[in-house]
Amino acid sequence: MDGNLLAAQFIGGLTSAMSLFLVASGLTLIFGVVNVFNFAHGSFYLLGAYFAYQAVAVSGVGFWAGVLLASLGAGAAGVLMEYFFLRRIYGRAGEAGFQILLTYSFILILDDVVKMIWGTDYKSISKPVALAGSFSLGEVTMPRYDLVVIVIGLAVAFGMWAAIRKTRFGRNLRAISSNREMASSLGVNVPLALSLVFGLATALGGLSGAISAPVRTVTPGAGIEVIIGSLIVVVIGGLGNFWGALVGALVIGEVTAFGILFLPQWAILFSYAVMALVLIFRPEGLLMKRGAVR
Amino acid sequence: MRKEGRKRQVMLAIGLVLVLGLAEAAQAAEKIVIGAMYPMTGRAGRYGIDSVSAAEIAMNEINAKGGVNGRMIDIIFNDSKANPAYSIKVAKRYITEDKVNFLMGVVSSAVGLAVTEVSKENKVIFVGTDHASTALTTEKFQPYYFRVSNNTYQSAAAAALYAKDIKPWKKYYVIGPDYEYGHRTWEDFWMLLGRQRKDVQLVGQAWPKLFEPDYTPYITAILSAKPDVLVTTFWGGDTVAFIKQALPYKLFDKMKFYNYDGGGNYELLEAMPTGLPKGLVLSARHHLNWPDTKQNKEFVAKFKAQTGRYPSYAAEGAYAGVYFIAEGVRQAGTAEDPDKLVAVMEKIKFKLPEDPEGFMSYMRPIDHQIVQVQAIGETVPDKSFPPATMMLGNWKIFKAEEIIPSVAEIEAARKAVKK
Repeated sequence: MDGNLLAAQFIGGLTSAMSLFLVASGLTLIFGVVNVFNFAHGSFYLLGAYFAYQAVAVSGVGFWAGVLLASLGAGAAGVLMEYFFLRRIYGRAGEAGFQILLTYSFILILDDVVKMIWGTDYKSISKPVALAGSFSLGEVTMPRYDLVVIVIGLAVAFGMWAAIRKTRFGRNLRAISSNREMASSLGVNVPLALSLVFGLATALGGLSGAISAPVRTVTPGAGIEVIIGSLIVVVIGGLGNFWGALVGALVIGEVTAFGILFLPQWAILFSYAVMALVLIFRPEGLLMKRGAVR
Repeated sequence: MRKEGRKRQVMLAIGLVLVLGLAEAAQAAEKIVIGAMYPMTGRAGRYGIDSVSAAEIAMNEINAKGGVNGRMIDIIFNDSKANPAYSIKVAKRYITEDKVNFLMGVVSSAVGLAVTEVSKENKVIFVGTDHASTALTTEKFQPYYFRVSNNTYQSAAAAALYAKDIKPWKKYYVIGPDYEYGHRTWEDFWMLLGRQRKDVQLVGQAWPKLFEPDYTPYITAILSAKPDVLVTTFWGGDTVAFIKQALPYKLFDKMKFYNYDGGGNYELLEAMPTGLPKGLVLSARHHLNWPDTKQNKEFVAKFKAQTGRYPSYAAEGAYAGVYFIAEGVRQAGTAEDPDKLVAVMEKIKFKLPEDPEGFMSYMRPIDHQIVQVQAIGETVPDKSFPPATMMLGNWKIFKAEEIIPSVAEIEAARKAVKK
């Protein structure tokens, strides 16, 4: 087993981890601040992928402009969902049950909406020409586009850290997350903040879908596969913990990558095995203390 | 006088309504009713939607020529939801409430295995299109089941014959979705190839979950194993995602890519108008550009004209299914006597769009599996079916009789289950 091979596998795992992180970060942010487990989060990934297709392949917008539009579009859809639907069930008796029903039904609705607009055939968009090839570092090959995905993932992680830690908005979010009523009585516009968080998180989902579109399958139902992976990531990292999502994604990405190298027949097992171990020995998640957004 | 006239008019009108009603009832009884089930949503939705369109084309063609023995064909469609339990309910409702003469359809083999049980219990003939598990015609065989598209054994057998002649293909790696179809398609191939070549070796295998979005770690592992040929048993979007992700690693320069059951489906060629490599070895159950016969060209052109898109391979299976039923009813002279129908249907020989010149698809009595020619090709630049820029070419053709399990093999498989 030579070093080049291990390096290639590590980079592959890192790329997977960053794709997972972009979806899982939004999922965990919504849980941490809005206190909703958004099963439909994968559907915003799906919307992001189709919006990017519409912008880049149909309307002929440039690739990165298309990615930006797709993220904004998914975020706008998220704000609408929060404002018109989720807002009606906050604080109801048995809210958790309503959350599951409502967010789950949005998976089905958005899947069908996508099918009605774009049909069932597989859609494709091309990468920017400059990113189509790969780098060679010695004998290790790394696709250029993967490097971009990693950089975007790290940039989002840093940007979110700065937003949560260093801005007034972030301080309000932390306040809402630890005590919504208290934050409200101290003058924080809680409903507005919740809508904004929901929009931000779904925009991240859309961003992930948009940058995945050139390297994955754009098809109705694609949101469901990513939500399962992201769920595992947030459970490992700690539900509602932003850094937990990053750590969880790195753990799952790398464990799966090296697992495949040594035991490819068992590929499906690894992420579930890690989740089971975490649930047994640290059921609150690897990074979970008490506060949600940290 | 006026009054009486009106009375007579009323009586006449009533009589007319009654007679019309009778005529309609008579016509309804004369229709040949097919209860079809296809998935309309999810990943297999495209196959279902294409199957419905193709079945309607076949029905309209037959009815435009006056139907079968003077009877029109009527097809009722329902979503199978690709769900066995739900499809059983639909099939039972078709039989008890809609009084269908035939059941037809289903894309998923799991649904096929469920519906064939309903067919057996109720003695209603079930014509299978598209679903490919060999089990339906071997160990789970029942006399009221017929399949009009190739099963996985046939494509695996053709694939083994293809691979046998390529001497440099020695080291194999397989990657496929981790469920019945993915494994069975590979195992049949590997067993048959092993009988004909002693110098082949399996250097690795990987079984990601169905619909896995990210294959990157698998790709680097495959590259490190350095196989001569990579067999994949992916279907649909999984093939697309894998190819897209493997391209920057130049995987296709380093090994041959071989997907002999579903890889050559038009929906994949169409999904990658840019970037699809040359020289991938692929096949499917029906091709738009092979065979180069008038019938195939007309089928493809008609489908395109009516739906605005080119058909994925499931379409031709459904088209064949309706013609198969029509031929059965024509020969048996009835749509109501299942045993009489089985007796003629198991000997049907008819010409389909996928049949090359000089060959006609035919049903085999032993397993009620249609026997057809299989063609395997390579991707070559070809813009005749846009948006695809690559189509299959450099065909190798495998005779129908060379790629079916022998009668003895089928009997052995059935015996093994009974024990």
